[in-house]
Amino acid sequence: MPAPDHAALHTLYSEHHGWLKSWLRARLGNASDAADLAQDTFIRVLTARNAQTIREPRSYLGAIANALMIDKFRRKALEQAYLAELASRPERMADSPEKRLLILETLVAVDTLLDGLGERTRRIFLAVQLEGLSYVATAERLGVSVTTVKKHLIRALTHCLLLTDD
Amino acid sequence: MAQALDYRTLEAAATWYVQLNAAQPSDAQLQAWQDWLGKSQAHAQAWARVEKLQRQFGSLPADVALPTLAGVRARRRAVVKTLAMLLAVGATGWSVHESTPALALMAELRTAKGQRRQVRLSDGSQLELNSDSAVDIHFDGQQRQLRLYRGEIMVQTASDPAARPFEVQTAEGRVRALGTRFSVRSDDGQSRVSVLQHAVEIRPVDNPLLMLRLEAGQSVSFDQRQIGSAHSAAPGTGAWTQGMLTVIEWRLADFVSELRRYRPGMLRCAEGIADLRLSGAFRIDDTDTILENLSASLPVKVRYLTRYWVSIEAV
Repeated sequence: MPAPDHAALHTLYSEHHGWLKSWLRARLGNASDAADLAQDTFIRVLTARNAQTIREPRSYLGAIANALMIDKFRRKALEQAYLAELASRPERMADSPEKRLLILETLVAVDTLLDGLGERTRRIFLAVQLEGLSYVATAERLGVSVTTVKKHLIRALTHCLLLTDD
Repeated sequence: MAQALDYRTLEAAATWYVQLNAAQPSDAQLQAWQDWLGKSQAHAQAWARVEKLQRQFGSLPADVALPTLAGVRARRRAVVKTLAMLLAVGATGWSVHESTPALALMAELRTAKGQRRQVRLSDGSQLELNSDSAVDIHFDGQQRQLRLYRGEIMVQTASDPAARPFEVQTAEGRVRALGTRFSVRSDDGQSRVSVLQHAVEIRPVDNPLLMLRLEAGQSVSFDQRQIGSAHSAAPGTGAWTQGMLTVIEWRLADFVSELRRYRPGMLRCAEGIADLRLSGAFRIDDTDTILENLSASLPVKVRYLTRYWVSIEAV
């Protein structure tokens, strides 16, 4: 990491870390969650390596923290839904904790990817991608043409590709 | 050097993927795709993203992931109706198409590749559908009939107070239960019957005078005209109801074609390794793991182009 960035990060941290913590605390109602999220926010800035180019530190930090908060809730909701689903499938309880964690991480990623899609596009995409249905079977289930299925698949896939890192 | 990919390039990659997965692509299509891939660094980079995304989806167990994603989405939106519908589809894996009231006794049962389903019929009989199977149920005052259009079923019949006969019909003929547990598989113009308890009677569709009584522990294949000779059922017959596939000294090519029943997409076995032999008991619910472990027991490597496009090759 170049030195100027390091210095910029140091300034950013010392000037705004306290502010960010209390900002988060007001929203989360919990000091230790707030401290964790504030830490995570700075880790994001650190890995983005752009500390020296930040013009409006507080609105930038606030935006990152906000996204992290949403992720946290999304993750929590998904985790609950996943555990409920596991509980109803005794055969899946045998999965190792590592495997479950990995699956949960992927579920969070996939759920985030699919967030911007319309309901029909999403259902078509999941039917093909996850259920492994053929285009014809998907078209029959949803009462649309195979051409429509393909169109929605291309739209969904392009959307996901835009949000995928190299 | 990585670069920002524009929407058009990503859309082109998505279009290729969707087209290539629609059916077995022709050589001309594959060549055109290769040409596109080689045309620019950005194309290759976009395709690498496609593969990354497919790996991500491929790592999710569909049976848990679908209802979880559906559930959390529905809760988020608090749309109860969507939840019920998606959960019904995700949790059961097969869809019962609503029939018109006049055909109320008719239900169409299906499983997608990789799914199995247990159904209790109105007379108390148990029906199990293996992967990629389709069955109609025709029960009326005179008969209890199942029509197997594709795939494989296991039937455990219940005794009927009205003493209606129980029969499975395939494109090749009829299998009548004589108080019993048996499986019927129909594909490629052949029906295969195995009896686990009691006996069945088999009649090919185009040869009504021909009838074979098959006893417990026996298997037989028949087509529309002829019935083969009955032989002892292979070890592991019916093990699919427990999610197992047992093979003894099978050719790799036969094993791979059996795996195709359980796995969506393209699964290819190179010719040079088709005759390698393999034995074992495999969990058919997890074909990814089967493929992963294949290279440990045989001199082969498994190449993933995408989740749905797997090729098994010589090392």
